[in-house]
Amino acid sequence: MNTVTLNINGCEVVAEKDLTILEVARRSDVTIPTLCHVEGKPSDTPCQMCVVEVEGRDELMRSCVTLAKEGMVVNTVSDRITAHRQERLGILAETHFGDCKAPCNLTCPGQINVQGYIAHVAKGQYEEALRLVMERNPMPFSVGRVCPRFCETRCRRLLVDEPVSINHLKRFVADWCMTHEIELKIPKDKPTGKRVAVIGGGPAGLTAAYFLTRRGHDVTIYEAAPKLGGALRYGFLEYRIPRDVLDYEINAILRLGISVKLSQKWGVDFTIQSLKDQGYDAIFIASGAGVDIPLNIKGCVNPHVYSGMNYLKKVAEGKKLDMGKRSAVLGGNNIAMEIARTLLRQGVEEVTVVYPQARVEMPAHQRNIREAGKEGTQFLLMASPVEICDAENEPTRLKLEVVRMKLGKPDDKGKRSPEPIPGSTTILQVDSIVSSLGQLAVSEHFEGGELEESIALSPRNMIVANPRSSQTNIDGVFAGGDAATGPKSVIQAVVSARRAVTNMHAYIMGVEKEPADNRFNFTRGKGFDDVSLKNFDDVKVTLREKMPTRPPEICRQDFDEVKLGFTEKMAIREAERCLSCGCTAFERCDLKKLSIDNKVNINKTGMGTTPIYGKDYSHPAFIVDRDKCVFCKRCERACEYDALTITADSLDEKGRPLGLGINFKENCVSCGACVDNCSTGALNKKAQIIPIQGEEIKDVRTTCPYCGAGCQMLLRVKGDTIIEVTSEKHLAPNYGALCVKGRLGHEFIQHKDRLRKPLIRKNGMLVETTWDEALEYTAKKFFDIKAMHGPDSIAGFSCARATNEENYLMQKFMRTSIGTNNIDHCARL
Amino acid sequence: MTNSIMDSRNTDLFLMIGSNPDTGHPTIGMRIHQAVKRGAKLIVVDPRKTRLAENADHWLRIIPGTDVAFLNGLMHIILEEDLWDKKFVEERTEDFDELVQVMKKYTPDYVSEITGLSTEQLFTVARMYAAQGRHAIYHGMGITHYVTGTDRVKSIANLAMLCGKVGVEGGGCNPLRGQNNVQGACDMGALFNNLPGYTALDNVDLFDRYEEVWQVKLPRTPGKPATEVWDNVLTGDIRGLYIFGEDPAVADPNIAHVQKALEKVDFLVVQDIFLTDTAKAADIVLPAACFAEKDGTFTNTERRVQRVRKAVNPPGQARPDWQIFCDLSHKMGYNMGYKSAEDVFEEIRSLLPQYKGIRYERLEEVGLQWPVPDEDHPGTPVLHTESFTRGKGLFIPEDYIPPVEQIDEEYPMYFTTGRDLARYNFSSMTGKTAELNAISPEAKAQINPADAERMHIYEGDWIRMTSRRGSVEMVATITDRSQEGTIFTTYNHIEALVNFLTLDALDRLSRTPEYKLCTIKVEKV
Repeated sequence: MNTVTLNINGCEVVAEKDLTILEVARRSDVTIPTLCHVEGKPSDTPCQMCVVEVEGRDELMRSCVTLAKEGMVVNTVSDRITAHRQERLGILAETHFGDCKAPCNLTCPGQINVQGYIAHVAKGQYEEALRLVMERNPMPFSVGRVCPRFCETRCRRLLVDEPVSINHLKRFVADWCMTHEIELKIPKDKPTGKRVAVIGGGPAGLTAAYFLTRRGHDVTIYEAAPKLGGALRYGFLEYRIPRDVLDYEINAILRLGISVKLSQKWGVDFTIQSLKDQGYDAIFIASGAGVDIPLNIKGCVNPHVYSGMNYLKKVAEGKKLDMGKRSAVLGGNNIAMEIARTLLRQGVEEVTVVYPQARVEMPAHQRNIREAGKEGTQFLLMASPVEICDAENEPTRLKLEVVRMKLGKPDDKGKRSPEPIPGSTTILQVDSIVSSLGQLAVSEHFEGGELEESIALSPRNMIVANPRSSQTNIDGVFAGGDAATGPKSVIQAVVSARRAVTNMHAYIMGVEKEPADNRFNFTRGKGFDDVSLKNFDDVKVTLREKMPTRPPEICRQDFDEVKLGFTEKMAIREAERCLSCGCTAFERCDLKKLSIDNKVNINKTGMGTTPIYGKDYSHPAFIVDRDKCVFCKRCERACEYDALTITADSLDEKGRPLGLGINFKENCVSCGACVDNCSTGALNKKAQIIPIQGEEIKDVRTTCPYCGAGCQMLLRVKGDTIIEVTSEKHLAPNYGALCVKGRLGHEFIQHKDRLRKPLIRKNGMLVETTWDEALEYTAKKFFDIKAMHGPDSIAGFSCARATNEENYLMQKFMRTSIGTNNIDHCARL
Repeated sequence: MTNSIMDSRNTDLFLMIGSNPDTGHPTIGMRIHQAVKRGAKLIVVDPRKTRLAENADHWLRIIPGTDVAFLNGLMHIILEEDLWDKKFVEERTEDFDELVQVMKKYTPDYVSEITGLSTEQLFTVARMYAAQGRHAIYHGMGITHYVTGTDRVKSIANLAMLCGKVGVEGGGCNPLRGQNNVQGACDMGALFNNLPGYTALDNVDLFDRYEEVWQVKLPRTPGKPATEVWDNVLTGDIRGLYIFGEDPAVADPNIAHVQKALEKVDFLVVQDIFLTDTAKAADIVLPAACFAEKDGTFTNTERRVQRVRKAVNPPGQARPDWQIFCDLSHKMGYNMGYKSAEDVFEEIRSLLPQYKGIRYERLEEVGLQWPVPDEDHPGTPVLHTESFTRGKGLFIPEDYIPPVEQIDEEYPMYFTTGRDLARYNFSSMTGKTAELNAISPEAKAQINPADAERMHIYEGDWIRMTSRRGSVEMVATITDRSQEGTIFTTYNHIEALVNFLTLDALDRLSRTPEYKLCTIKVEKV
């Protein structure tokens, strides 16, 4: 008998003799985890992950060295095994030092793979960068212009010089793809046959429509205004988001195949009930927070007193408004800053923002406040409006009475609220006043039908949507964006809508919703103070690229865009400033995967806090990061050339290496097998700088295009870009082996020098032409030569690098269309 | 290859001649190193001290270009000492007597004088190879890139048949083919003297069949080989050129001659993925998809037909080559009408007996080695196990002919080239990966220390090498990897185009040029 029969996890398994339990399990599709296993080369410092219980044995057995025997009863899953793995993993985690995800990724409300798209920019892969952004954010043009940039506040580059200008890079890739007329080819799932109505065509509504459509649902947007865009169109004016850019962005989303109904007022032209009657499977309310909180002081009802959103909307619609020469803006939020800047552009000579607290207390982002200030907006701080009256016989139309404020006594929590200073009123002479005191989803309650009226609202008049399900109190009706969250940034509306789509999809399809990204994360330090400056020893100071900007004294005169965007060179330089904090082995890391599978809490076990070794860039193709090494030694044993050594001066009390060395020997052929076998991010390919974080990867098996060995390899494709090349162990003819060219030599595929269009020689120069002209001209010339000199006056060279099919067709073409045997290739060259 | 790459696991002895798979075919080189580690014997015949030479049981540092004499010398000893495989020769071969006749004069002393090897080396190697066991010969371009290339290949076959080492696992004659699909390009009949499937142009029956399938009258006179095209352009016999995926402006021997012809030709169409030097001379350039952007098959050196699969879209308006041929053919009034690469393959397998049993479906997991005569056939890992393609194996003994250029006073050094591990051809593809450039930043002229001392050349000196056809400047490096009297360099650097030096004399049968050897003079710059 050459087989043995054993029992694994209650199932009978027949296996070849003399195989280890690990190998038998692999062949029977039972996963036994391991960190250190290399087939046929057992480790001398075993990771002990692969332990199993064998009936009749008290101790846990390492499946990688225990042979499967007749009648054995093996158990691979038990609390005892998990506890053992947890202990082992905890020990490794204690000294593993690095970031799984970069702080920018973690800080972005949209959880966008920021490091990934920056890396794409650095590699000149702008289209892929944009596609990566659009995995999670369909509005890169707008967000790239108005985002508060949470990510940049956490950029570790701050500890060296200045943060990376992340948002400008996002805008750059979006704009680049627009100018180069790139068709992004966003993939869509198969149609589900389900229909969803989206109320509101602002950022949240458009985002929801985009993600719902990508999931195969049929979406209709109902928009009250005559154009889509919502707050992007009516809250930000041209100088922030040019209309042609906005239209392009919206059209790119609509091209996925989304129906739109414009000038449809909710409660007037349709109701929730009428939508339900039309058979929509779900309804998403994204009507925004467009209702201004009214100004409530004496004299506030006046034709020269406007409310914020209302005012901006009128300007956006092109209405002529007479705002006079001096204006006051009441309020300190972002909208107030937009209003102030818009007033200046309308010809108002003096704009004053009135706010009852200090500048730092203003809810607007400081960058917005700064920019308004640069253009000439003045600030009257620690002042609160009291009364408005018409001015008589004065150069201005209105008198605004304000009272000065001071900070009161601390309350229980130590917070000092402003209070009026008695008798400190002053008069501000203005021609018009615009108030921006915040926005609501609806002033009292929604109208139009019973369902509308029954929508539960929060005390601040926002729609109450369950944070876990995004559902309102009405079954099948969901809400998101500002209508549910109150006025927030565009990216936050995007995130809110994207989450709602996950929930809606689960609801419509009757499935469990996909789990959110696991929060397991090694970090070099959560706050800046926790990060060792030793991390940056080798980083040279390079200041960030300055965004080309029109001077404020000029740009306040018109509505043209203020910021002009990075050039390609600036974008690449800026992208190259990225410190690549996040691990480029994110997707393949076994330590992370096993820690998650075995529920290891690294916040409890602890993790490395400071780099002991630093990164080693001395190999021409690979980067060694010993601080991430768990001493599994797979690299050494996976090397077919015996060209790598991994050593330790000694081991600590828990068996971890001290004085760790990973060295390439002189006979290293740079084939990269060590990197592909690394169980963490300790070994990396220099060219593979894009962390893959849950994005879809297509593994395409193909044949190497270099020498005659015909090695089989896997092209790992994200979107339309080859991220890296790896191989499969069990396939002829190479059984996983690749050479340096096979694993690394594929940057040419998407190189900028590739020929993209047919060329024709005109006036001695090669110039671009159409396929039709090129082929037409070629055919004509071949005909002429044939007619004049006979078919044997034409010769063809075929290509030993091209496919069989193509070589067959080339010789067929020469023998049939031309009519000659003058066909050959470089077999003899 | 008569055998398979992984067959190296079964080999007891490797005779490597004119091949350095460590750089030319790295994953195959690795298998040989592993076999040696496990205990297989290794004999390396190479003027250069390669890594395999260093690991060999016997390294024979032969004078370049003398391989036929060497092989004949081995056969002389094997015949003389009666070590040959009588059963195999009797049952499987013909013209043995002729072999005996020609081998007579290749005595150890005579061969030793020609090859620079000692008679002991010849005796040892002859006895080792002829002994019992699974013995494989591997060879590469160091055998074929000579005007006597076919003589060498035949001599290798003679030796293997004489000792009965063909048709067995672990043995065989194993040419390592240079390009990924050079095997396939030959199989597909991209040859001036063969229709697909190696059908000679005098095979009238098959011609009829092709004319029936292709619905056209076919030309039956042989065409011109690629290497003769340039002369024909310069004489005005060839007026139009259609170059698909090759860059002869840098890759052919004696490129000054090629470049002259490219300037002269009336109409030049180039179909490629980059604007190569050849494309720059074209009247029309057609942008093609690369291997990762299209479907199809390659056939590797062990005759394994394997899938190529589309992973990404081609850039801009570039199209897969098969589609370009269909489009152009249509314009020429001949409708090919294929809708996919698989369509084309179906036609191929209907015409080529070797490919008959192969379908795309069967290639999903792993490729098949031709011949695959029917759809249930598992492929053929070892050729000639029962009989040879022509029936009996024919001994064709050849006499030794010296290389075309011999050193003389004016050109006192030999010059030879090989492939760099981290580069491929002229780097139009590999040169786009920064890491590969970092691994192999430049080509260096490798000079033996004795020569260097004689010529007062030091490490890092710039030298000019000049042949009868042109000259090239390069940095010198002093190493005993090069044989005394011979300068070696890699040919993959576009900055140092060695093909200004190389020789375009052609083999009388295959029309292969004598790339591997020419004579040069050397001066310091």
